[in-house]
Amino acid sequence: MTGMRHHRLLISGLGLLVALLFAVSLLIGYAPLDFGAALSDLLAGRESLPALVLAELRLPRAVLGAAVGFSLGVTGAALQGLMRNPIADPGIVGVSGAAALGAVVAFYFGFSATFALALPLGGLIGAGVATVFLLMVARSGADTATLILAGVAINALAGALTALALNLAPSPYAALEVVFWLMGSLADRSLVHVALALPFMVLGWGLVLASARAMDALTLGEDAAQSLGFSMQRVRLLVVGGTAAAVGASVAVAGAIGFVGLVVPHLVRPLVGHRPGRLLLASGLAGAALTLGADIAVRLIPTRPELKLGVVTAIIGAPFFLAMLRRLKVEGP
Amino acid sequence: MMRAVLLLLALLAAAPAAAGEAKPARIVSLNLCADELVLRLADPGRVASVTYLARDPRGSTVADLAAQVPVNRGLAEEVVPLAPDLVIAGAFTTRATTAMLRRLGFEVMELGVPTSLEEAYAQIRQVAARLGEAERGEAMVARIKAAMAALPPAPADHPTAVVLRPNGFTAGRGSVPDSVLARVGLDNLAARLSTDRMGQLALEEIVIAKPDLLVVNSAPDAPPSLADELLHHPALAPFAKAARTVPLPIRLWACAGPGLAEAARRLAAARERIAPGAPSPLVGAPAGLLQ
Repeated sequence: MTGMRHHRLLISGLGLLVALLFAVSLLIGYAPLDFGAALSDLLAGRESLPALVLAELRLPRAVLGAAVGFSLGVTGAALQGLMRNPIADPGIVGVSGAAALGAVVAFYFGFSATFALALPLGGLIGAGVATVFLLMVARSGADTATLILAGVAINALAGALTALALNLAPSPYAALEVVFWLMGSLADRSLVHVALALPFMVLGWGLVLASARAMDALTLGEDAAQSLGFSMQRVRLLVVGGTAAAVGASVAVAGAIGFVGLVVPHLVRPLVGHRPGRLLLASGLAGAALTLGADIAVRLIPTRPELKLGVVTAIIGAPFFLAMLRRLKVEGP
Repeated sequence: MMRAVLLLLALLAAAPAAAGEAKPARIVSLNLCADELVLRLADPGRVASVTYLARDPRGSTVADLAAQVPVNRGLAEEVVPLAPDLVIAGAFTTRATTAMLRRLGFEVMELGVPTSLEEAYAQIRQVAARLGEAERGEAMVARIKAAMAALPPAPADHPTAVVLRPNGFTAGRGSVPDSVLARVGLDNLAARLSTDRMGQLALEEIVIAKPDLLVVNSAPDAPPSLADELLHHPALAPFAKAARTVPLPIRLWACAGPGLAEAARRLAAARERIAPGAPSPLVGAPAGLLQ
């Protein structure tokens, strides 16, 4: 184990990558923008057109890209560690789908119009219910197959209920918007969305990252972790609460973007010496980088209207998922 | 069901072959734009059914008239028992229903989407003639034209405008709204785009193009949707602050009918308000960057 220095280097490298992609995300758009003028107007507080585009359209998109990606990466790593299961990912095990259902009910039936926080809270409740249910399945000694099947069931149910809710919603546009909730997108999000979701996401990150040391102990099994002085009750509470807050708020403003939480921890794991505690922060940063990159890609691919973000992450993630299932089968569960 | 259909076919076969010439007495409409023309041009007793959309005052200009008439959801099963002697459908909607009704021998008239004011007038005349109400159709066209003629004259410097609809759709070249904007003396920036008449614009393109007027097709009490939420994006706030936003219900100019005159009147009033030399909402790039 190369130790702390190596880890610090990795974290700074990933942080730099996120900062770079964040800047590229600000530079890329649908209309030519004098970026220098926009930035200086914005910093000087002048109400100019380029400053408006930068602050109200490109900034929220980049901030949400990084924050949503961090949420998916960090919770993917935490769920994999807690359930000691390489398949656990908010998308595959149904947490994102359930969050979408909660957000859809809050948004289309007017709750969030009267009480803005209802939108992230709806997502949070949906994600929380699904996470608690999954943890109960995982704790009863379920193997990988059972966990995937539970995820398939939650996803199917949440997807069907989301479609039902959208069909019952009073707006004639609602039924067409199921794609946004199932695939996710950052198009035309605003600072209002950032203000609604970011506090919950940051809270979620804090809770999940606080479980880092216990995660390392958990590799030895729950009993061993307990004997080392870690309260399992507390770890579960941290991860479930953190996942519900971070994924719930992410999905409420960006829809259910799949596969980020699955792919990222597996890519990063060899780089952190297979230590689940260190994996958390590194996965969050890598998730942010992947999501920002995918969101840059959807804007560069010349289709109108632009591709949903989940299309790109699924094209990257689904083959990865299949390859991993094959390896699991060869090696045995 | 099969027997009912056979019975109906027998009934239809017994009907005079020259039904196309007679004044239809049981008219069914399967399209909102057809609803509006049928309800305005024909006596209510002759209208057997219109679409359920006609009763929604947010999308329809004839909600009060539609309240007195049965409604359908565009299904063949709803239409057949009414035994209509004329079905009017849109050229792009309820395709399966239209095909089935034709197979069953009903007379179906299809309405295209007009691409200009002239074509809208032609559609009013066409439907009126088929309903046997040519004079009422002519009167409707004359009223719209008179209202257009009574508008204040267009200024020499054409102020620019962009239409924003739910989901970021706009009204491009070859659409009735484009034609109305031109009639009012507004320069439609979206017409310069190489899109079709229902093109989609990114908010960024609209803001950077900096139109003098932003025509927003929204209903203030629309139920929540992502499509509608886009119309209230903070990036558009400066236009509203500078009184350069014109809220215009989409029902006024979505179909051929008297709503077109009302839309033109409201747009002309907005154009007058932003008299030449009025302060622009924002400093920065010049208008017309939209290529």
